[in-house]
Amino acid sequence: MIPETTGPVVLFSLPLAAAVVVFIRPRWSVAVTLASGGILLATALWVVVAVLRRGPWRQDIGGWTAPLGIGWTVDGLSAALLLLMAAVGLAGAVFHAARPTGRTPVRDPRFFWPLWLFLWGGLNALFLAADLFNVYVALEFVSIASVGLIGLAGGSAQAAAWRYLLATLLGSTIYLLGVALLYGRYAALDLALLADGVEPDLVTAVAAALMTLGLLLKAAVFPLHFWLPAAHGRAPPAVSAVLSAVVIAAAYYLLVRLWFGPFAPLLGPEVATLLGLLGAAAVLWGGLQALLQRHLKMLIAYSTVSQLGYGLLVFPLAAAGAVQQAWTGAVMLVMAHGLAKAALFLAAGAIVLRHGIGRLEALGGDQQGVVVAWVAFAIASASLVGLPPTGGFVGKWWLAQATLATGGYFWLAVLMLGTAFTAGYLWRALQAAMRPGWETSGGLQALSPALGLSALVLALGAALLGLAAPIAARLLDAGSGVAG
Amino acid sequence: MGVAGVIFDGLLALALVWLAWQATRAADLFHAVVSFIVFGLLMALAWVRLEAPDIALAEAAIGAGATGALLLSALDRLASRDGRHRMLYEPATAWGFWIPAGGALLGGLNLAAWKLPAPGLGEEVLASLKLSGVDHPVTAVLLNFRALDTLLEIGVLLLAAVTIWSLGRAPSPLVPAMPSPALPALGRLLFPVFVLVAAYLLWRGSHAPGGAFPAGAVLGAGAILMLLAGARPWIRSSEHGPWRWILSLGLAMLLAAGVTGSLFGGAFFEYPTGIAGPTILVLEVAAGLSIALLLFALYLRGEPCEHGYRGAGT
Repeated sequence: MIPETTGPVVLFSLPLAAAVVVFIRPRWSVAVTLASGGILLATALWVVVAVLRRGPWRQDIGGWTAPLGIGWTVDGLSAALLLLMAAVGLAGAVFHAARPTGRTPVRDPRFFWPLWLFLWGGLNALFLAADLFNVYVALEFVSIASVGLIGLAGGSAQAAAWRYLLATLLGSTIYLLGVALLYGRYAALDLALLADGVEPDLVTAVAAALMTLGLLLKAAVFPLHFWLPAAHGRAPPAVSAVLSAVVIAAAYYLLVRLWFGPFAPLLGPEVATLLGLLGAAAVLWGGLQALLQRHLKMLIAYSTVSQLGYGLLVFPLAAAGAVQQAWTGAVMLVMAHGLAKAALFLAAGAIVLRHGIGRLEALGGDQQGVVVAWVAFAIASASLVGLPPTGGFVGKWWLAQATLATGGYFWLAVLMLGTAFTAGYLWRALQAAMRPGWETSGGLQALSPALGLSALVLALGAALLGLAAPIAARLLDAGSGVAG
Repeated sequence: MGVAGVIFDGLLALALVWLAWQATRAADLFHAVVSFIVFGLLMALAWVRLEAPDIALAEAAIGAGATGALLLSALDRLASRDGRHRMLYEPATAWGFWIPAGGALLGGLNLAAWKLPAPGLGEEVLASLKLSGVDHPVTAVLLNFRALDTLLEIGVLLLAAVTIWSLGRAPSPLVPAMPSPALPALGRLLFPVFVLVAAYLLWRGSHAPGGAFPAGAVLGAGAILMLLAGARPWIRSSEHGPWRWILSLGLAMLLAAGVTGSLFGGAFFEYPTGIAGPTILVLEVAAGLSIALLLFALYLRGEPCEHGYRGAGT
């Protein structure tokens, strides 16, 4: 019997080793990526089952215990995100391998694969890390890989990648300042050690403010979202999918880890309300902007700004007392959003390839070859809006229960209004399929069915997440920061 | 620390702030870049004053040397494009937002640093030093206690090189025409010294300040100097030949070391008892080679030619 601690070792090492292999031998890229993607998905499932069975665990690296050494934490939250990454990573790789070459926006496909695997490895390292500095290095990894992947689309995407680089480096630096302050104050970088020793004094408050600011910038929370729509809207489809689904969720994951871990004593009603108001503003502003977009991928990109806002509602609701419900609901929403958003971007990628243009007015007419993609788009939309029985519905339902339990009717109104916006802009996108289209010369008739199918599998995952809600709730309860 | 030390540190701090101001606010870009390079050198001096010679070496080689050379090359390309050396606009947000925000941040951090007890982990590191296989605490932290961070950092360097390659080919010509005849001769003369210093630093790392990062930085900076002196960039992006292997060597070896620990029933990155010292030495050599070549590759500003360069070169 292989011990569960092997799971994280595989999840950490395999993507990086595969990245090295495909860098040295580009000819093997697709085979190596798909094979390791399959193994990573199986391993992530295994880790999820292990957490469900025996609860969360911590493993030390190199046999050194904190504060000297670094550790990995595997609990329900990290296992869920590792699984999300594996699903999106594999589906994105299938999509990219099946895209028609020749007229693709990716200028130099040779470097897509190592960058993709590096991003995967960096995100896995981030979700495993239990050490604030290790998190910083993983964040750098994720940022640079994301910048490279966005820039692959060439043209205006390179300008977007540059803006993203500046924004995300600023975020990392601000985060690192906070980490340095915490180390100077407590001589510890380990999350669990800090959670035991933190006192609500000035230095800790400054560190918390800096780290939160850096992460809010990386999570593109309103009003720090300025870099997101261009970067996510112009990147190659698979890249947009992983950025919106997982990279944004990674910054959110750290916010939750910190504020329900070491910074929990600082989470007073004022801070929680401020974070909640930022979330509410993001929900409404992002939703409004998405309604006004004319380009399919930009619409989906603004939707990310809006949907991540829901995640921040966890802070005021938890501070008001409904910790468990709010926490499970928000994380469930982020997971469902990840799957659905990745499905939307992949479907949109196939649709734009079919029509040769991304403007909403042009997407109607003959849909030969992208019917499956539109079906995936519709199912993913249902989950984002929150129709039962999807994962989006369950997440919103739990969040709504938390608002009712705490009497937070303002947050309930935000939730409802955001849902109305979501329904509005996704309806606009779906409606585009029904209209008479433009005759464009750039479209392609013969698209690989794998393009639509990769989106469909993710969309079905978002839908099935709702049916698996009891298991998801048990997983997220397993050793979340809340339980302690 | 005597009065002279306090005065020196105070002047150093003031000079750093002033140079940072110059580097960001000077209207003339050349002036800004030179300020940045001097800033890097004084920063290295500050690290020496803080008794962190390892960081000082890396700061001087990378912060001042390699980055400065990159900025100067960028400036040269800007000049050849439109002949302007000056920033023509004054961003309105600077005085309204960035300067007050930066000032507030600097003040707040100073205040916080003043209040910090700064306990550190020095004693814990020294207590476990015997078990780590090396005698120098910095090396013990980098390649044993926190080897996972080092693995990711070398990964970041490789990732940065791949990202730069993905943006396009290296510009040609790589370096501006060199007006000074002295530099090529000096470069040829100095390169063996760079190699020697790098090898010495690498070997020294097990018991004194040195190790893979400073050694790789010095070697990489030496290679960049050779390039500036007119040498042909011998690195190729072809899948044949050793270059991709050497670039990935550091990350691959560290991954292998980590996984080996797990395979033999220990934790990830647990070195087998008794041979931690030799293992670390092998990892340092691999990491140092990769770092040197990666820094050089970063300086090329793009994917090098696949099959060699034609044209001028010494």
